[in-house]
Amino acid sequence: MPGVDVTVEVCGMAGDGTIAAGGMINDAMSHGGFSVLGFDSYPAEIRGFGRCVTRSRVGDREIRALDEETHVLISLNDEESKSRVPVLTRDCVVLFDSNPPVLVEEDRSLVAILDPETRLFPMPFGDLAAAAAGTQRGRNLVALGGFAAVCGADPELFREAIRSKFKAKSQSVLQANLKSFDAGYAYALEKFHDRLLTMFASADLPKGPEKVMLSGNMAIGKAALDAGLKLYFGYPITPATPIMEYLARELPKRGGAVVQMEDEISSIGAVLGASYAGKRAMTATSGPGFALMTELITHGVMAEIPAVILNAQRGGPSTGLPTKTEQSDLHAAVFGGPGDSYRIVIAPTNVTECYYYTVKSFQLAEKYQTPVIVLTDFYLDNRVENVPMPEAREEDVRDGNIYPNVSAGEPYKRYLRTESGISPRSIPGQAGLQFTATGLEHTERGKPDYSARNHMEMSAKRFRKIQGALADLPEPEEYAPDGPLSVGVIGWGSTFGSALEAVLAARERGLRVGALKITSLYPYHEAAIRKFTSRCEEVLIPELNYSGQLISLIGRLCRKEAIPLNLATGEPFPPSLIRKKIEELAEAGAQ
Amino acid sequence: MKTPGKVLADKVRAIGEAKIFEVRSESLPTWCPGCGYFGIHQGLNACIKELGMPLHKVVTVSGIGCAGRYPFFTRTYGLHTVHGRTLPVATGVKMANPDLTVFAVGGDGDGLAIGGGHLPHVARRNVNINYLLFDNSIYGLTKGQPSPSSPLGMTSKASPYGTLDKPLNATLMALTYGASFVARLFAGDPKGITNALVEGARHPGFSIFHIYTSCVTFDKSFKTWEHLKEWVHPLPKDHDPTDLRQAFDQVLQDDFSVGVIYKRG
Repeated sequence: MPGVDVTVEVCGMAGDGTIAAGGMINDAMSHGGFSVLGFDSYPAEIRGFGRCVTRSRVGDREIRALDEETHVLISLNDEESKSRVPVLTRDCVVLFDSNPPVLVEEDRSLVAILDPETRLFPMPFGDLAAAAAGTQRGRNLVALGGFAAVCGADPELFREAIRSKFKAKSQSVLQANLKSFDAGYAYALEKFHDRLLTMFASADLPKGPEKVMLSGNMAIGKAALDAGLKLYFGYPITPATPIMEYLARELPKRGGAVVQMEDEISSIGAVLGASYAGKRAMTATSGPGFALMTELITHGVMAEIPAVILNAQRGGPSTGLPTKTEQSDLHAAVFGGPGDSYRIVIAPTNVTECYYYTVKSFQLAEKYQTPVIVLTDFYLDNRVENVPMPEAREEDVRDGNIYPNVSAGEPYKRYLRTESGISPRSIPGQAGLQFTATGLEHTERGKPDYSARNHMEMSAKRFRKIQGALADLPEPEEYAPDGPLSVGVIGWGSTFGSALEAVLAARERGLRVGALKITSLYPYHEAAIRKFTSRCEEVLIPELNYSGQLISLIGRLCRKEAIPLNLATGEPFPPSLIRKKIEELAEAGAQ
Repeated sequence: MKTPGKVLADKVRAIGEAKIFEVRSESLPTWCPGCGYFGIHQGLNACIKELGMPLHKVVTVSGIGCAGRYPFFTRTYGLHTVHGRTLPVATGVKMANPDLTVFAVGGDGDGLAIGGGHLPHVARRNVNINYLLFDNSIYGLTKGQPSPSSPLGMTSKASPYGTLDKPLNATLMALTYGASFVARLFAGDPKGITNALVEGARHPGFSIFHIYTSCVTFDKSFKTWEHLKEWVHPLPKDHDPTDLRQAFDQVLQDDFSVGVIYKRG
């Protein structure tokens, strides 16, 4: 039997309870044992009467990305939902308010522009809520009840999600919401009894450990706590702010502190100061804030001070598209700032990796005495996945510092040019090992020195050190059959999930194609990348940016020019677009 | 034969025997002969000695400019950061390890121009760091451009027709921003600097030491030693540093009285 793979959307105007309804769908389906990936989009303005859309993909196998098509639309505001029509499947299930708060002329309504094959389920959301609970505010819950009845989802899962969502509220609020849900459920069961669907019947739901709903941002926050973060310095910016807010609540309970600084420059400055003094510290920002940080990031490179910087990318340049997703800070992360400033850049591709890579970044920063940039994007930060609760292993949170061991009378060389490039680092408070960390070029003992030979040797030492970090960085992962491939797709960040879905779908259609996941963006594993590209007839690199930033970084490692597939739409990369391109390339190659 | 190098080496050895290298390092300061920074250096070294602080528990943080080089000339831990960011970096150091004593040093360009946005926030946050603002009213390291505390109308290569911007008063700013310990000092009086630093270092909160000093190389007309010596004088004997209103009055009516101006009890 075909498995379950349903994308459900809730669309409304700010204030309709759209995001709350989407969240409860995610929770309910997760408790039902399905794989869930949810992502909301909302306007940059707080009360701009903007459109809110939540999308949840629910399946009985691993879900790695959202795709273009929507199978169920729950419309809380028809005017806003009209914009969603292009993504609806021809026979999409549409639940809408038959007696909405604001009436729309019939020929301008949502229904008027839908495909004739659309399956319509009109329900008086507001009236049912008012009758059940005395207020129209439960419209969204009525709609959820209708959805559960029409699509064949277990209503008890939703009741549980509602209880969990409103557990902190008063009993009367909880009861009102439950009544609204039940009213919608009962109404739909009766009214549509002859055309109820079974969209969520699955023979084989994934087994395994209990799962939790986790967003990328929450995974990052939890990772920082588990890694022993002591100090967080930051400045509010979308989409990184939830990390600061989460840590502001949790970090003081563990003896740490969050300081909201006056700007991003002071945030990274304080992180460097704290790391220099031997404590784990981090900051999180997005493109515009990251740009402000670059000078001090290169100071961390030159003075060899650890720092963990999370850049949650959004659309750019400049203020750009604050609530849209993009992968256009790769060059800024890898090359941004003055001089030959090599630093470590890693990019997780899903929520679980957001956790593990953030944990690991602290140790990497200490061991290699360098800023480590964790590059995520809006889609990755704000999407939720139901995953087994990630837990850090002891060896991943262990102190990464390498302390000096100097015999008495011997001068301490803080920047000793070792074979690995790593020079043992003392921490203020350690007697007899004082040195000055400086952004000036310096000798092994840390004294300013601009001589030709010294600059050459110190540049080489720093480069060697960062290249050496490859040993501790995750290798690229191949998802491909052995032997030659007609198309190989290389993906990074949130786009990798889409690339892998596309590759798996193309393989089901009999194509010899594969995917390569790259999470270490600097330094990167040249040999492993070449090994993959050398067996690909064509290499396709999809990215959420206009110019192809990964292509310009690693394109030289392909046998012939890699093929870019760039989207600057601000939206997650749809797997079906990548699949179509793969098929096109494979076909051209076969001819 | 005594070469100039040997003469210098002998001098350095003689100084070493006189134990002046207990706090200062053996690196020869890069400041010009006659620079006021030597007086500040002397004052801070004596403060560290007087407080009996172990040098490995002291961190000197600086930005960029002639004063930025300070950490190389002391035996404490040093952190020579980028232009203008002395105070946020010092905040990170102190918060990470409150057992450390942190001295932040920088000039008027570093602290009032490029880094001027940090002063109000470090003051209101009241992190226990000690900030020495070396105010010579000029950019020395870039050869004589006007700074935010230069007098109105100052001519220089960068302002051949005279500056159009009114000077900032760092002491008044510090009081306004709510700094909990404010001293105004003179580089020509190392003893006075030491006394104020000892008191400020013991004060549990943000302390700012606004120090008038001279750039002997590029300033031939304003903050010259001759002028400073003539202008600077002690605070009135009856000045009560715990009275904020009196502190404001004092600073508003007199630009050159020196001593501990304000100290929150």
